[in-house]
Amino acid sequence: MDDLQLLREMRSDIGSAPPATLARGRNNLMSKIGSTSRPEATTRTHAPAKVSPIRIRRRVLMASAAAALLVGGIVAADVVLPGQSGATAEAAEVLNNAAAATIQTSDPVVGPGQYLKIETTAVYSAGSVAADGTQTSWLDKTGGQVYVPADRKREWVWNREERVPLESSSKAAKAAAAEIRKADQGRPKGQPSIVGILRAPGGAFYGNKPTAIIGTPLTEAGSLPRDPRALLNIIQERTKGAGPSPEMEALITIADALRTGVIPADLRAALYKAAALIPGVTVVDKQATLNGKTGTAIGIQSPDGGARQEIIIDPVTGLMIGERDVSLKATADFPAGTATSWTSVQTSVVNSAP
Amino acid sequence: MSTDSDIIRRSRDSPAAFGELYDRHASVIYRYAAGRAGDFAADDVTSETFLVAWEQLEAYDLDRNDARPWLFGIATNLLRRHHRAEAKMLKAASKAASREAVGDDSDRVAAQVDAVVAIGRIAISLKAMAAIDRETLLLYAWADLTYEGIASAMDVPVGTVRSRLNRARRTLRTQLNLGLLDETENDHGRLAAAPRNA
Repeated sequence: MDDLQLLREMRSDIGSAPPATLARGRNNLMSKIGSTSRPEATTRTHAPAKVSPIRIRRRVLMASAAAALLVGGIVAADVVLPGQSGATAEAAEVLNNAAAATIQTSDPVVGPGQYLKIETTAVYSAGSVAADGTQTSWLDKTGGQVYVPADRKREWVWNREERVPLESSSKAAKAAAAEIRKADQGRPKGQPSIVGILRAPGGAFYGNKPTAIIGTPLTEAGSLPRDPRALLNIIQERTKGAGPSPEMEALITIADALRTGVIPADLRAALYKAAALIPGVTVVDKQATLNGKTGTAIGIQSPDGGARQEIIIDPVTGLMIGERDVSLKATADFPAGTATSWTSVQTSVVNSAP
Repeated sequence: MSTDSDIIRRSRDSPAAFGELYDRHASVIYRYAAGRAGDFAADDVTSETFLVAWEQLEAYDLDRNDARPWLFGIATNLLRRHHRAEAKMLKAASKAASREAVGDDSDRVAAQVDAVVAIGRIAISLKAMAAIDRETLLLYAWADLTYEGIASAMDVPVGTVRSRLNRARRTLRTQLNLGLLDETENDHGRLAAAPRNA
């Protein structure tokens, strides 16, 4: 018998994919790709954003907690029992106070010809796998500015900065990161760069309209309920089966919305109050510092205790300073307690866009 | 029937269209990944492959009607995360390489025993070869990609695919005691066993 025939014979022992697995995978996929329709789509959101958009000879992939979480989500129960109490009393107080404060903090007024500038700084884990299977992980830092015109139907501008490994990264990590950058510069003609300026009417970067929360375009944010329970129900309905647990996914979805910097004050307040209803949400740190700003961190742990998703709120203004994923277990590359990804957000009104 | 590139073109405007690409190819990606690293890895790799594909949609070359090389390229990349699971599977399979390990169950005809032993030997040689050679060989034999498809999946010239495949098959044949590969035999093997690649 021929060697290839024998090899193919080996394959015939492999079963087909269970239809239920494929169906669940499809649901997961559709809910995730629906939720990437926002300006930050490729800077930091769910699992897809953590995988490098470039393929080069030395294959690159983002070491992703989210990938592990994706698998975790498959086995996690996807029902939140009604009547279960929400966040701890302390966390609920922080969130409800933030909701009250954020209503007081009026939305910035963007005059004709002006832009709302949303500046984000983000760190996230990156990694590469060499052909021999050797894995390297490190943390990349990047920044971006989205300029939202006063008339939101007009052209939005998004400047995406380079990703640079943190100073503290190993030599091997810096070398791998340099290789990725080089590959982006040498990409085939016609392939979009991952850095630089993008322009899109209505903020539909990559063809996706910005969303308020998954399933609702930003332009229809007014249609979402301001009742926190009703809002949370919608979020859980639309994220069913995604994430490590329904509770964690709900907080991630809320963070996704707040991070966009374009959510109106009353919806922001409702999102905070909805977060206060999520079981397992606790105050993690009252003096959490993110990118130089200090606020209160509230968070929720993944069911396996391996990670915690946090949002950090300025208690005075009720604005979200940022959010972070903290790895609670040590890995080969990062000690326990490392923020394996974080994003800080700051908004201001400016007179021009690049 | 619409081609993969038609679906991808439509997906750029409507995420719902992307579901068709999943329906079309998820099961082959799953089966390939399961063969290499087990069901648990297959579940993860299949989900991630389509998420990555979604993210890279803009970079897809619409002149390519068949998206399989692209998807298998992404899956191959993602499978490297599961190299431990793959090594474990190959190790388990390689234990059958000695006839003794199979046991002399009298119900078993010699040919079946031989097949089990051969699978064990294949596992040994897959384990022994360089990861890129193994990836190339399995994209050919299990994913049914053509040389050109593999070249596109792995971002290497066709000549490189050819030399990697030759090297991988040499390792395989040495382990199987099939003697050296000559071109006639090579062609014969392809026609008999791989009409889909041809």
